[in-house]
Amino acid sequence: MPMTFEDQEADPFGYGTRVWTLFNEAPRAGEFPEGEPAVVTGQAGTPAARSVLRVQLKFDGDCVADARFRAYGCPTSIAVGAWLAEWAQGKSVAELATLTMKQLRDALEIPDDRAHCAMLGEDALKAALKVAHHPS
Amino acid sequence: MIYLDYAASTPLDERVFEAMLPYLRPDGFHGNPASTHGPGFKARGAVERARAQVAALIGAEASEIIWTSGATESNNLALKGALEFRGMPRAGRAVHVVTSRTEHKCVLDTCRQLETQGVSVTYLKPDAFGIVSPEQVMAAITPNTCLLSLMWVNNEIGVVQDIERLAPSLRERGILFHVDAAQAAGKLKIDLQSVPIDLLSLSAHKIYGPKGAGALFVRRKPRARLAPQMHGGGHEQGMRSGTLATHQIVGMGAAFEVAKADFDADVAHLSGLRDALWSHLQTLVGVHRNGPDGSTGQRTAPHLLNLSFEGVEGEALRASLPEIAVSSGSACSSATAEPSYVLRALGRDDELANASLRFSFGRHTTRADIDTVAAKVIQQVGWLRELSPLWKS
Amino acid sequence: MAIYFDYNATTPLDPRVLEAMLPYLSGPYGNASSVHRYGRAARDAIEAARVQVAALAGAQPSELTWTSGATESNNLALKGLPEGLAGGRVPGRVLYGATEHPAVLEAAESLRAHGWGVETIAMTQDGLIDWQVFEQQVARAPLRVAAVMVANNETGVIQDVPRVARLVHAHGALLHADAVQAAGKIPLAEYWSGAASGADLMSLSAHKLYGPKGVGALLVKSDVELETQLHGGGQERGLRGGTENLAAIVGFGVAAELAAQELEARSHHLRVLRERLEAGLHQLSGITIFGESAPRLPNTSQFGVAGWEGEALLMALDRKGIAVSSGSACASGTGEPSHVLLGMGLARDLAYSAIRVSLGVANTVAEIDRFLGLLGELRLQAAA
Repeated sequence: MPMTFEDQEADPFGYGTRVWTLFNEAPRAGEFPEGEPAVVTGQAGTPAARSVLRVQLKFDGDCVADARFRAYGCPTSIAVGAWLAEWAQGKSVAELATLTMKQLRDALEIPDDRAHCAMLGEDALKAALKVAHHPS
Repeated sequence: MIYLDYAASTPLDERVFEAMLPYLRPDGFHGNPASTHGPGFKARGAVERARAQVAALIGAEASEIIWTSGATESNNLALKGALEFRGMPRAGRAVHVVTSRTEHKCVLDTCRQLETQGVSVTYLKPDAFGIVSPEQVMAAITPNTCLLSLMWVNNEIGVVQDIERLAPSLRERGILFHVDAAQAAGKLKIDLQSVPIDLLSLSAHKIYGPKGAGALFVRRKPRARLAPQMHGGGHEQGMRSGTLATHQIVGMGAAFEVAKADFDADVAHLSGLRDALWSHLQTLVGVHRNGPDGSTGQRTAPHLLNLSFEGVEGEALRASLPEIAVSSGSACSSATAEPSYVLRALGRDDELANASLRFSFGRHTTRADIDTVAAKVIQQVGWLRELSPLWKS
Repeated sequence: MAIYFDYNATTPLDPRVLEAMLPYLSGPYGNASSVHRYGRAARDAIEAARVQVAALAGAQPSELTWTSGATESNNLALKGLPEGLAGGRVPGRVLYGATEHPAVLEAAESLRAHGWGVETIAMTQDGLIDWQVFEQQVARAPLRVAAVMVANNETGVIQDVPRVARLVHAHGALLHADAVQAAGKIPLAEYWSGAASGADLMSLSAHKLYGPKGVGALLVKSDVELETQLHGGGQERGLRGGTENLAAIVGFGVAAELAAQELEARSHHLRVLRERLEAGLHQLSGITIFGESAPRLPNTSQFGVAGWEGEALLMALDRKGIAVSSGSACASGTGEPSHVLLGMGLARDLAYSAIRVSLGVANTVAEIDRFLGLLGELRLQAAA
């Protein structure tokens, strides 16, 4: 039976189309150049737990002008990072602080067994906000 | 999708399918091989022809082939049957079995079951390439050792054990030798006339035959004795009762005959693919080959390549290759998302063990497939590393 | 003209079953334990088939475990019962019908080596349980499990399984019912449903109902714990290791669904033919139809003729192109008379003279008449 590439299914591994799309497209992946002004960086997770998420927020005044993320982890973790970087656009610090894990899970339809990925997102954002409040 | 998971399961070869069809068709040979009438005799004839075909690939006598429902059952029958015949389970008899940590789950689980019945089992740790040396085995033997079980070719990493050198030493000491050859048949030359193995497990669906069909070679001279595990009408010389599934057995016979005829071509084709994929992927930084690479003279199976990739998370790696069917670790344990116990036995840490892929090739795999897969893997590994905050390029 | 009258030994595939199996033989072939797309397609097909086969007995899909066949199911049912309390294997007591299939008989007998008490249940000449003896037998000592088949493969006799179940359950024991021959010929729901009157374990086989050889099932009530007999791989939620036999399972599912849909029509067809057969047999002198006065499967007629040797008649019929059997296919050619008939208390030479005709959907009136004609001729030849 000859093997060929077929058209990709919408969701071949059953992650849910939102996670799958974000994992594949990963918009805003990357980081701001070193020394770029008004950028705060937050990181959460550990390699031992097989997830690390780093989020960078570039502020224009009180609002996020742009965001980037880098992630090491399962597709859901990567999707969380990508979603955060999108969602943060144009948000003020106050608005950013309102993000909950539940919100993340609802937005990405994250099931129970991946809840820790949403927690990772919340933690990474919190870490960034901490820096935003107390720039060293 | 490009299918590179032949070590998990193979499609039926066209020739096997053609051979099976007359025994499936409603107007074909549907008799029960145990029936004593025309339809039964026809079915019986087909079963016996298949028995000879299986025996021919491995240098055995037809009467030494016992049909089972698959390699899992063959392994269970070999271990439990041999020990039960020797009087297990019974308190007061010190019985010792030697095996390795990298055996298939069905051997390990069966050994653990035997341990609950008072058998003592030594699980030998292989070296960093997965080799369990004959010296290591002999050092583990005690006066109470009655059985060694070792797989010829490891299903995850393809390492080939030195069965030929080991067998005579065990025979000398009267220790039963069981070999799981599910991944070896059709990939390595097996000649049981010259290698004194007592029990050998075989699987049809690893070699383009049907699922649900397997066999256990049980040597006649000297006679390897087993207590049956499947009781009933006394089929298979009393060793394994149950109606024989004619079409499955015919399929297994045909698959083994094809494997014998195509052996050299198959092996050359498969090792060519394996070497080509390795030569592409070893250009990546931070890639580790699991199992021997052939450079030190240690044999490795022609049909598989197991690699660990630094700096990427395993699940993301697999998800980044949706158009390639591969597995990480044994198919049986893929669902549990635990890092492969085989890779851990080699000394890989959890992270690296988790970020590994087993590519396994088959008759229908082409060089073009390999080139495409290699390019995709390189691209995706690169992308995931770039995405990672931990990777320093 | 070849006539096949041995459907209880095995059946040909229904063409619709083969059609359903083909894509799984030469198409998607994933090992169902793999996570990629092919693996998922395989798992879905297996679960769909589970629903279909479980429905034959009105069981929950979660109660069904796939096996390689009825022999394995019967072995698992009896040997898989863990005895006693934590750690130690405390032997139990098992009773099995004297007319059980060898797979049940031998599996039960094998428990002796593990210290179990093993006894047979006495049958009457009709092939039914001798209730007086049985009730005392059950009450005499603590019982772990009784094995009583729904319908016998040789005589077709149908046991009063609900009554057995009620008795056995009242004594805190389990009931294993081999339903291999009954499935597809009579409705099974009454033998499974109901906590008191239903079986706790039930074996099924595909190749007795126009499905493929090489696959069977064991129904296990959710509160019954069994230990796997096939270690490794963890398939079937740890109860039965080994790569699933995908095409065969799909085939079993379709065969089961067709059997459920067509049960009444098939049963009627078989009954008509069997009545015609036995009317003809009654015209011949010296014929004893075994279990005739008991409830029987609609397709089975096992009979003996005093003074004849069953195996010889079988061969003579085979030479004329008619396939029948003398007793169980499993025991063919062993030279022993059927333990089923001996278990019914029949005389040895009567048991030796046994011939079994088991009919199927493709049999016709013309075939019955031809058989009767040939039988008459052979009878005359033998008498001469």
